Order: sequence, then structure tokens, then C-alpha cells
Amino acid sequence: METSYETIIIGGGVVGSSIAYHLSERNKGGILVLDKKFPLSGTSGSTQAWVWVHNKTPSWYAEFSMYSAELYPYLSKKIGDVEYKRTGGLSPFFNEADREKALLLAKTYESIGIKIKVLTREEALEKEPSLNPEVAGATYSSIDGNVNPFRLVDRYMRAAKKNGVQYSTYNKVTEIQKLPGKFMVVSQKGTFQCKNLVLAGGTWSRELGKMVDITIPINQLRGQILVTEPLKPFLNYTISGLRQAFNGEVLIGYSMEKEGFNRATTLEVMQETANLAVHYVPSLRKAKVVRAFSGIRAMPEDGFPILGRIPGVENLFVAATHSGVTLSPLIGTLMTELILDGDTSIPIDRYSITRFNNMETK
Amino acid sequence: MKAVETDVLIIGAGPAGLAAAFETASRGLDVTVIDESLSLGGQLIQQTQNLSSLPSDLSPMRGFELAAHLIKQIEEYDIRYLLGHRVIGFYQDGTIGITDEVDVFPVKTKKMIVATGAAENAVAFPKWTLPGVLTIGAAQTLINRDFVKPGNDAVIVGSSDFAMDVALQLSEVGVQVKGIVEKSTGVLSRNTEKVKQVNKIGIPIYVDSSIVEARGMGAVEEIVIKQEDRVFTEKADLVCIDGGRSPILDIFYQLGTSFGFQKELGGWVPQYNKDFQTDCKDVFLAGNAAGVSTQGALVLTGRLAGMNVCEALGAVSKETAAVEKKGLWKELEIVETKYNLDIWHARNRHVDNFTHPVLKDQFIS
Amino acid sequence: MDKSTIICRCEEISLEEIEKVISNGARTFDDIKRLTRCGMGPCQSKICNCLVAAAINEKTGTPFHEIPLPRMRMPISPIKLDTLATNSTTFSSVKSVLDEVELEDGKVR
Ligand SMILES: Cc1cc2nc3c(=O)[nH]c(=O)nc-3n(C[C@H](O)[C@H](O)[C@H](O)COP(=O)(O)OP(=O)(O)OC[C@H]3O[C@@H](n4cnc5c(N)ncnc54)[C@H](O)[C@@H]3O)c2cc1C
Ligand SMILES: Cc1cc2nc3c(=O)[nH]c(=O)nc-3n(C[C@H](O)[C@H](O)[C@H](O)COP(=O)(O)OP(=O)(O)OC[C@H]3O[C@@H](n4cnc5c(N)ncnc54)[C@H](O)[C@@H]3O)c2cc1C
Ligand code: FES
Repeated sequence: METSYETIIIGGGVVGSSIAYHLSERNKGGILVLDKKFPLSGTSGSTQAWVWVHNKTPSWYAEFSMYSAELYPYLSKKIGDVEYKRTGGLSPFFNEADREKALLLAKTYESIGIKIKVLTREEALEKEPSLNPEVAGATYSSIDGNVNPFRLVDRYMRAAKKNGVQYSTYNKVTEIQKLPGKFMVVSQKGTFQCKNLVLAGGTWSRELGKMVDITIPINQLRGQILVTEPLKPFLNYTISGLRQAFNGEVLIGYSMEKEGFNRATTLEVMQETANLAVHYVPSLRKAKVVRAFSGIRAMPEDGFPILGRIPGVENLFVAATHSGVTLSPLIGTLMTELILDGDTSIPIDRYSITRFNNMETK
Repeated sequence: MKAVETDVLIIGAGPAGLAAAFETASRGLDVTVIDESLSLGGQLIQQTQNLSSLPSDLSPMRGFELAAHLIKQIEEYDIRYLLGHRVIGFYQDGTIGITDEVDVFPVKTKKMIVATGAAENAVAFPKWTLPGVLTIGAAQTLINRDFVKPGNDAVIVGSSDFAMDVALQLSEVGVQVKGIVEKSTGVLSRNTEKVKQVNKIGIPIYVDSSIVEARGMGAVEEIVIKQEDRVFTEKADLVCIDGGRSPILDIFYQLGTSFGFQKELGGWVPQYNKDFQTDCKDVFLAGNAAGVSTQGALVLTGRLAGMNVCEALGAVSKETAAVEKKGLWKELEIVETKYNLDIWHARNRHVDNFTHPVLKDQFIS
Repeated sequence: MDKSTIICRCEEISLEEIEKVISNGARTFDDIKRLTRCGMGPCQSKICNCLVAAAINEKTGTPFHEIPLPRMRMPISPIKLDTLATNSTTFSSVKSVLDEVELEDGKVR
């Protein structure tokens, strides 16, 4: 295996692999992805994988998400079928107070080109007859959908490898040295050198930051998801809280727990999630749950992506975010522009790590 | 609310769980036994073969007779039985969640003994998923519990003691056993008596052999066997596969105990010390869950786990416990070395490895 | 063994498919599972677990004690959502998306 590369990406999840793939579209060869385990062993393998836009706030973040969602159809043409389905997204609500909020949301987002309809009870039930008849209404947008995260990462990897990207898996990075004009990346299987270094370590980003003496303010936030046995297709939309996958399984869950790196599941959250399921879609009562799983979100301190250069260290980049599935096509595209051209077609200054004042090197 | 609070929760009412129930209930502890089946006895109740290596206080008897004996032994105690109930998971604080298929409700216990037994492993060959291909345990259940004749012409894949038992039981109910196929160079069963019986009724044993494929439209009709260079076909509507058994680990995994690997005990086994206590200090284990062994040994591990729980809860004095435990380990040694020396050695290695588990912290990413 | 042999009967995954992802670097049951769905069926890998371990051992020479168990999960056996649910409609850690829409001075932020 070669030891010298133009660009090394640490982390082969959906974020790292997307960057690797998009970079390789323009620069074949000279790219190495290092992963401490196998891609998908991190958060990208334990996610709901909605490609979700319509009720992200504030509006500039929704807009950013929309641009990424818009890239999906084209992406699937390039890298192969990732089971992307633009189903449209429905967020049901059960009281009138939420309708006020929903109307406000719809009005604000009209100006940035995200069409949100606030459905009446009847409209919501007509669109999705399985919803609880007690529903008060729902917000709806046609831009939302979902994707198969396993296929997505697998196809990114395959396409990247085809373009000459190398993957070194089960190979943990333990140390990073900055030398003039290059980095030395020390890993379990050897030392590699590169000009550009991208940190895409997801929920482990803090640990990677420490290796170059910076704080990447990423915290852990657990989410538990229930999976049912395959059911015949009956859900038309991606409903916030649950979706039906290609093979008929329904994935349910939207929990947020501060449990560090502990990926266990707990009965209390599983029961609450079951409550949510039967509350939203009563016909799920009879469906059997075959599995619960949990994932650890990489949650930036303020909730928004951390993207771009790391100031003060030449050719060092970071990409760490929640909603990485939704954002991966855009992040891959923009990080490629930044690395190769020094600038991006859509501004990402807002997402710079410099916004955190505890960023000073220590 | 159906919630339960108890001193000792025993999960699994097979021979190991029943033995543990006797040890603990007879010493005055408040004991709850849960099993997903509606009857006590676990896998023992369909075992009609004679059990030879039992503890010294028990005379040789058949499997279902042992079950009856163990059940009778606990009759007089006021044990809470949750039959037809399943353990489905755990709450954050370790409280057990069980279901009666109507609700899920919590069980709080001071100590728990997990005796959930072992599961049979599969053996794969082309078309092994055709109907008519079963595990030997499933075939035995059909004959002895459901009184169903599972087929007319059978081939058995594997030659353990258990395979010999099932070969004999199939013949008894009129199934023609066409052959026993073993990939090793010799018969695996150590019970020469049983192998002799199998030979006597004319069942051929093909060693150094393998299954090339099963054939059939919608169900198995024939099976292609390869012995060295010879390939031949047997008509069969029943293929019983014996891939050995492995401890059922789900509950331990959710509890977060660590595991070690011992091939002779069935592969991955929860780590435990000489007290049959896991590294979650309130969790004890017994039976095949602690390593696949013979029925006599399973009963003894149940008694050992029970005794240790009694000691931990102060139901016996340290001194009494020490004497009893020493005696039980001695018996275990006698029964297990007589049955299979390798298993005894593996068990001791496993206990020695307690402080150096290979698999741990499985939920920390 | 014949390449077409089914290893995961729930999801009908063949030995060939499993060997392919092993040659792409997958090492553990869980790696293989995510790339092929082997182990994601109704039995949740109870049946194919040992067969996959044998395939990994055969293909890579990794000894069995170095092939970790698949990650096991609740529920310990399948359970109806109705049975699992407690019928409460208040949620503490489970959120609805609209909950997250933040308002500031009566406007969406
Ligand atoms: C329950 C849940 C539901 C979610 N739902 C959605 C959703 O519906 N839509 C959406 O868009 N997003 C969703 N997300 C978020 C999304 O899954 C993540 O944002 C995304 O997967 C992050 O990808 P990543 O590549 O940054 O992280 P990861 O996939 O975790 O990749 C990081 C990689 O870095 C490697 N690594 C770390 N440290 C080192 C080191 N020292 N050396 C070598 N390699 C290292 C790791 O092995 C890992 O493979 C959800 C997340 C959770 C938990
Ligand atoms: C079908 C079958 C046939 C067998 N026949 C033979 C034979 O002929 N000869 C032989 O030597 N061995 C045989 N065995 C092996 C048998 O496992 C042992 O002989 C012995 O019964 C094991 O004792 P145990 O107490 O460890 O477990 P078991 O007898 O298996 O008891 C475990 C009990 O735990 C219960 N349980 C498991 N999980 C849960 C849960 N989550 N919630 C509630 N309850 C639970 C089960 O219902 C079961 O009753 C057979 C095994 C099987 C599977
Ligand atoms: S056989 Fe693989 S999941 Fe059931």
C-alpha cells in the first residue's frame, strides 16, 4: 500500500465517503479513506435516513438541506440505485396550537422556495388514510423523502473505489503530526502522509480534533429506532417519526437521549416509541417489532453543520454534522470545491468552526 | 398493575432452572420462575432416552422422568410461576421487562438466575431450506411431544449422542433411517452403547462424508451424499441436521455481561466465575446457557447457581455454603469427566478466564 | 461448499454474496449484515449467525474466537406494537418534528 497521498479523509461514513467520491470525480487517485472499523459501523449504519427538509429551522438551514435533497436524483443516476424515494413528507399534529406554528412555517418558507402546505384533518387523512383519525392536520412538503443508508454508503464507496480511491479499514488513526506542507497520519497499520487532511469522524470528531489541538464541539445524542416485520406497502409518505422502507419494514423512532457513546436500547424508550407509532398510525398495532437499534448522533453544540477549513492549520478541513444523510451530496460537492478550488459555489461561512468562541487552540 | 417484586427470578424452567428453584425456594427465599412455554421442564419433557450420567442422589431415568422428579421436588414450595411469559428486554436501571402477550410489565428482583438453555445450530448445503429439512431437536419434538411422524425415509446429518438418540427414536416410530452422514473421520458420539444399538438395527453410518445437495420440488425428495470419491443418492422426505448446540445469549447480551469463547461448550459463553456468577454481580446462570453439557451436569449447575444465590442473600451461612459448593463441584467433576473430559476442561478454562473476557462492552461505540 | 448455497434463509442471501463483501473488507457479522441484509430477517440472525462465522473463518482464516458475535438487540423475541405500547400519548424523550421548529418573537427563527 502506498504511504503518500494528496488527500486523506479520516472517517468513511456517509460524510467521509461522499467527500471521497465527489473528490474522486475530479481527481482520480491520490485519495485515501481511513476508518477505525468498517464504514457503516458508525452513525451512518444506525439512522432513520430521511432526506428531510421541510421543517428544519432556521430558514437558511432548511434552504441548505433543500439544495442537498435536490442533488439526490442526479446522485442516484451517477452512483447507482440507493433506493432514494421522494415520497413527500408529512408531519402530523394533534392540536390547534401546532397549526398556528405550521402556518407560520409555511409562510416564512415560501420566500426561500420551500413549498409547505398545511393540511386540514380531511386533507391529511385523504393523503395518508392510515393516520389516526384524531389528527388535527399536518404539514406537507413534496421535497422530503428517504433513502437506504446502507446502499448509499456502499454505492459511494464503490464509485469512489472505481475512481481510484483507496480505503484502509479496521485502521484507527491514533496521531496526527503537522509538518511544513504536509501531515503525517499515524494509524494502527502504519504512517501515511498527505497534503490535505479531512476530519470526517462523525461522533468521534472531538477525539480527532484533539490530535491537532483544536476543539471540534460535537456531542453525542442517542436515538432509538424500532423496526417492524415487513408489511405490505401501506404508507404513502415519509411521516416524521416513521417511514416504510422498500422491503416493507416500518422504521419508527425519534428519541433524543444524552447517553454518551452508549449504544444500548432501553425498554422505556422502546415503549414510548411504540406509543408514538400506534398514536400516529393505529393500524400498526398488530405489527410485530423484530428489532430495536440505537445510533449516536454527531450533534454539533449549536445543532448546525461544522464545515470547511480549520483556520490556522493549512490544508486541514472538517466536516461533522447531524443530518449527514440528507446533507451528504451537498457536503461532498462543496468540500470538493473547497479543497480543489479554494472556494465554494454556495457559501458555507455560516458553518465555519470559527463561530464557536471556545475554538482557540489550546 | 401486574408488576412483580421478588428475591430470586429464575428465567427458564428446564432442568437447570428447576434445580435452582429447589435450592432457593427450599431455603425460604421468595422465588419467581418464568418460562415462555406453558409447562415446566424445558427441553427435557420430550426426551425419552435414558440418562446415564446423573448426580449420585438420582438413579438412572429417562429425560421426561427427570423433569417430573424436579417438578415434584418443588411442589410443596410457594413459588410464583409466570408460565407463558417471555422476557423481552430490560429497562434502563436493569429492571426486567416481561410480557404476557397483553402487556409488558416490570419484574424487580434481588438476584436472577438465567437458565435459558441452548439452541441448535444449522448446517448449510445446497437446498437445505427445502421443507422436510429439520434440526434433530425439531424432529424429536414432533415425535415425542406432538406425536407426529415427521416423515417416512430419513437421513441424519451429524453423529453426536443426540443424533444417535434421534435416530433410534425415529426408528421406533416407524421412520426408515437411511443413513447417518458424518463429515469427520469417525463417529462423534461417545456413547458406545447407543452407537452399537444404531448399528444393530442396520442404520449405516457414513463417515468422512458430506451432503452434496438436497433435491425436490417444493419439499425434499432425495439427498445426494458424497463419501470420498463415491457420490450416491438416497430417497428421503426427511433430513435431520445436527449442527451442535450453542448457549442462547440474548438475555446476557442485553444485560451487558462479557463473553468468552470455548468451542467445547458450544462457542461463545457468558463469562462466569466459580460461583456461576457473571460480571453483572446480581446475575447468575446455569444449565446449557453456561456451556452445553449433559443433563446431570445441567442439574448440578442449577444447584450451584441456586446455592450461591442463597449465600448472597444470606439464606445459608457462609460455612454451610462453602461445604455444599465444594460437594457440588466435586459431583460436577465426576459427572462431567465421565461424560466428556473435554467439556470439563473447557469449563475450568472458562472459569479461569473470568477476569480476562474476550468480548465486553458490546454497546459502547 | 457450493457458492449458491443459501446462508441466510430469512433474507435468502447466498454464500457467494457473503464472500463478495468479505473480499471487499467486511470482517464481522455486522459488517456483512449492513451490506447484504444477511441477519436482518425475522429470526434476527439466530439461524445464520454460526454459518456466517464459518464463512468468515473459511475465507479469511480468522479464528472463531476472534470473530465477534453479531450485536444482539431487544426485543428478545418479536412482540406486537400493541403489546409493547402503554397507550400513553405523552412523550419525554421521543419527539415530534414540529416540536423542534423554534419560534422567536412569534416568528419562525
Ligand atoms: C437515530 C438516528 C436517526 C437519524 N436520522 C436521520 C435522518 O432521518 N436523516 C438524516 O439526514 N440524518 C439522520 N441521522 C444523522 C445521520 O445518520 C448522521 O448525521 C450521519 O450518519 C453522520 O455520518 P458521518 O459520516 O459523519 O458519521 P459516521 O457514519 O459515524 O462515520 C464516522 C466514521 O469515522 C470513523 N472514525 C472515527 N474516529 C476515527 C479514527 N480515530 N480513525 C479512523 N476512523 C475513525 C468511524 O469508524 C466512522 O465510520 C440520524 C442519526 C441517528 C442516530
Ligand atoms: C428441541 C430440542 C431437543 C433436545 N433433545 C435432546 C436430547 O434428546 N438429548 C440431549 O442430550 N439433549 C437434548 N436437547 C438439549 C437440551 O437443551 C438439554 O438437554 C436440556 O434440556 C437443557 O437444559 P436447560 O435447563 O439448560 O435449558 P432448557 O431445557 O432449554 O430450558 C430453557 C427454558 O428457558 C425458556 N426460555 C428461554 N428464553 C426465554 C425467555 N426469553 N423468556 C422466558 N423463557 C425463556 C425456554 O422456554 C425453556 O423452557 C434438546 C434441545 C432441543 C432444543
Ligand atoms: S437466517 Fe439470517 S436472519 Fe434469519
